[in-house]
This record gives sequence, C-alpha cells and structure tokens, in this order.
Amino acid sequence: MELTPVLRSEWLKIRTLRSLPGALLALFAATVAFSAIAGVSDASDPGFDPLFASLSGVIPGQIAAVSFGAVAVSSEFHQGALRLSLAAVPRRGRWFAAKAAVIAVPAFLVGLVTALAALLAARAGLGPAAVGLSTGEQVRGVVGCGLYLMLMALFAAGIAALLRSGVATLSLLVPFILVVSFVIGDATGTVADFLPDKAGQLVLRETYDGTLGPWSGLAVTALWTAAALLAGAWRLRRRDA
Amino acid sequence: MTSIDVQDLTKEFGGRRAVDRLTFSVRPGRVTGFLGPNGAGKSTTMRLVLGLDRPTAGSATIGGRPYPELREPLRHVGALLDAQAAHGSRTARDHLRVLAASNRIPDRRADEVLEETGLSSVARRRVRTYSLGMRQRLGIAAALLGDPEVIMLDEPSNGLDPEGIVWIRTLLRRLAGEGRTVLVSSHLMNETASFADHLVVLGRGRLLADTPMRDFIHARVQPRVRIRTTDPVALTSALARHGHDAEEHADGHWTVDGARVDDIGRIASAAGLPVLELAAEEGTLEQAYFDLTDSETEFTAQSQEA
Repeated sequence: MELTPVLRSEWLKIRTLRSLPGALLALFAATVAFSAIAGVSDASDPGFDPLFASLSGVIPGQIAAVSFGAVAVSSEFHQGALRLSLAAVPRRGRWFAAKAAVIAVPAFLVGLVTALAALLAARAGLGPAAVGLSTGEQVRGVVGCGLYLMLMALFAAGIAALLRSGVATLSLLVPFILVVSFVIGDATGTVADFLPDKAGQLVLRETYDGTLGPWSGLAVTALWTAAALLAGAWRLRRRDA
Repeated sequence: MTSIDVQDLTKEFGGRRAVDRLTFSVRPGRVTGFLGPNGAGKSTTMRLVLGLDRPTAGSATIGGRPYPELREPLRHVGALLDAQAAHGSRTARDHLRVLAASNRIPDRRADEVLEETGLSSVARRRVRTYSLGMRQRLGIAAALLGDPEVIMLDEPSNGLDPEGIVWIRTLLRRLAGEGRTVLVSSHLMNETASFADHLVVLGRGRLLADTPMRDFIHARVQPRVRIRTTDPVALTSALARHGHDAEEHADGHWTVDGARVDDIGRIASAAGLPVLELAAEEGTLEQAYFDLTDSETEFTAQSQEA
C-alpha cells in the first residue's frame, strides 16, 4: 500500500470532524487573547521576559493543541471505528504514521500563525518594554512556538493511542500541564526542567539559565513525544483491534 | 476465484477458546449463512479473517493470501462488522469518502453505494441522526464501496424494517449471482433460510456443520405430508394398509411422517377419498438447527457431568 492515499484519507478525517478544526481555531483564539492580555500587564518586574510575556498565551492555549492531538486519535477508539480503519489500511505502522503526519502538519502551521499573531498583539500592548527584542529572538520564538505546539499535539496523540481513550489522555495531560508544571514551575535547576512542557517552553524565552537552552529544550520535548508515539504505535501493533 | 479459507483457526482470549481449530471454506457464487448462538465465535472468526485479531494458531486467507497482504483491501473484501463504527459527527458521505480515499476508490463510488442502499437523500446528514436501520444500510454501503469479490456481513438485518429485510435478501442473492463470495452471519433462522445456499454452523467456537442448506435440513428433519379429508376413517385405514401412520391435529388435518406427497396422493385417489388439502411439509432450517444444537448441548452436558 502506498502512503499517499492513506495520508489523503487521514487528512479528510481531520477535516470532516468538526471538533478538530474547532480545536485549532481555539488554539489560535485562546493563545492570541491571553498574549494580548499579557501585553498590557505590568512590565516593571526585573525578571520580566518580553518574549515569554508575548507568547505566554501558549500556556493555556496549548490545551487546545493537546486536545487536537488526543481527539484525532481517540475518535478511532470509539465503537468499532478502529476496526473499520484498519480493515481499510491493514498496515498498522503505516496507518499510524499517516495519522501522526496529519496531526503534525496542521498543528505546526496553525501554531506558527498563532505565535506570530500573539507576538504582534502582545507587542502592541507592551510598547517600549518590547523594543529590546531582536529579530532573531522573535523568529526563534515564533518558529519554536509552532514546533512546541506540534510536539505537544503529537505527545497527546501518542498517549491517546497508548491509553486508547481521549478522556483518559486529557484527564492525565491537562492537569499535568496546568497544575504539576505550574506548581513546580519556577523551581529551575531541578528535574522539572526536563518535563515535556517545561523543557520545550524554553524556546519561548528571551533569556534562560540552567542546563537546557531553547533548542536543546525543544529536543527534550521531541524525545518525550517520540517516546509517546512509539509506545502508542507499539500498543496499536500488538493488540487485537 | 476468490474464496475465504480458514485453516485450523484458533483464538484464545485469556485461556478461553473463542474459536477452536476451525476449518472451512467459503466459496464464490453462493450465499453462505454463518450460524450459531451468541458467543459461538462468528464475529471473532470474521475479525480473524480481516487480520484485526491475531490468531492463537492456524490461518485465514482470502484468495490464498492473508488479508493484511492485500493491496487496497477494500477493492477485494468488503465487510460490515459493527454498524456503530461510523463517527456520529461525520456525514454519511464523508464517512464513505474517508474510506474510499485510503484505497484510491473514486468519490463517485460513495455516491453510487449511497444510492444503492437508499441513503442518497440523507447522505449529507450527520450519522448521529441516523436510526439503527439507516446505520446498518451505511455499513452495507461501506462494504460495497470497493466493488469487492468477497463480502462479509455480521448480522446485517439487525434493526432493518421489513422492507429493509426484503431488500437485503434481494441484495445478497444478486451479489452471489454475480459470482461473488458472500458470508453472512445471523442468529435468525427464518431470515437465513431465505437467502442462504450453504451453511457454516458454529457452536462454542467449533465447526458443527458445513453443508448445503437443503442437505442440512433434509438430514435432520424428516419431511412429512399434510392432508385433510372429509372421511378420516377411510383415510387412516387406507394409509395403514400401505404402512403409513397418520396423526390427527386439533384443526382436523392429518400428517404423515416420512412420506412423500406423490405416494399419499395416489393412495388417497385409489381409495376414492375426497381430498380437501394435500401438501408436502418441508422441514424448516429452525427445526434442523435446533435438532443439531440440542444434540450438541446434550453432548456437552454429559461430558461436563462425567
């Protein structure tokens, strides 16, 4: 079986399930809105990071990216949907690769557009507080943000394939992202730096300290994502559908 | 020609054998009814044939090849396993387009099978608004999508209205008439009797019968003759002279076990009896099936006691 028809079919699945384009729209709207709010907040704190403030809408916004990845996979674990899908595409590895691709590409592109819009919206509010940002830093922030959102969507997709449930995936990841990371949040220099979301968010900062830099942080997130996808693929290939 | 061949197929779920050393073939050009009580292993066998479940032992092939090795499998095999499999938020047409795209089947086929299954007018409605019967039709549409030589349907008449049941009967006969291989599971005997040529019967995962339907019934249920006359006394004595036992029924008709209508007609005529009604009573599939499962239950009950 060739990969192209499988990609077309999976892409059509994403497009024809209203909640999925909806999740991407929510990703854009929530991120830009929260970044715009951050743009008009107090910038006098000495530890203030104008790049992170501009992109901080991603922290709540990533929930939508995680939902996108989780629901795209978990919709297959509803009733006999997976059996129908695997009867059409019996090569499970190929099928799952196509699924991951049609999650990754839109998540990345929407993430990129979202980050750019968030940055512009926040800078309009920050005014002089954001003048210190170089073009290089801003490009790194926007591209990194797109990649980060893509990796989080894929991470959720891998977990959803492993747990075979969207509800289980979201009730694991959403509290994790919102609570666990937030609570141990600013304690840098610990193992918390290597959590999938914390590590990847370094790319959103103008300044950073500790062992990881922006790209190595994103690489740590990529490793988590790869592990989740491999675990999901392993479960899918091993189990009866 | 494309047959489904099952060889020594065994599937265990946590030590329980759902399918037990099953060997049979489903041949093209006829409708094979797949019978057995709930839990006999019919659906599991179908999943094993489609490569969805891994067999514990044995093999299942389609035209000599395992299903997962088929290129664009929907063009060879169409299956309905679960009518609920379509996502409620998609329209019926999108549901079929998604399946079609993966096997490079043109979108035109989606419209054709929707037409064929009578869903054209609701094709753009979300599946969640569908009744069980409509979902069943959509499942059948999905099975026909790739114009496959092999068709496997698990309980297709589920939820269909009387009109739908007649429709599916005609459809199955037509598909077999076109030379396709058709396997249809059911636990409805009269329904199966109306479309099947051949039977594969399972019980507790094991093969109980693999025979043409006519032979299956004739081997298990004696045919009898039904007769009604104005002169029962003359009838019984005429029959007795020829060694036949007649049995009287409450509404005044008589039945003669193990007789042929040709013989009884001649006897009645020779005796000058006024015959009001004379008919051959064929055994039904239901009678034959229960005869088989009763002996099977007895056997298993005995072996458990022992």
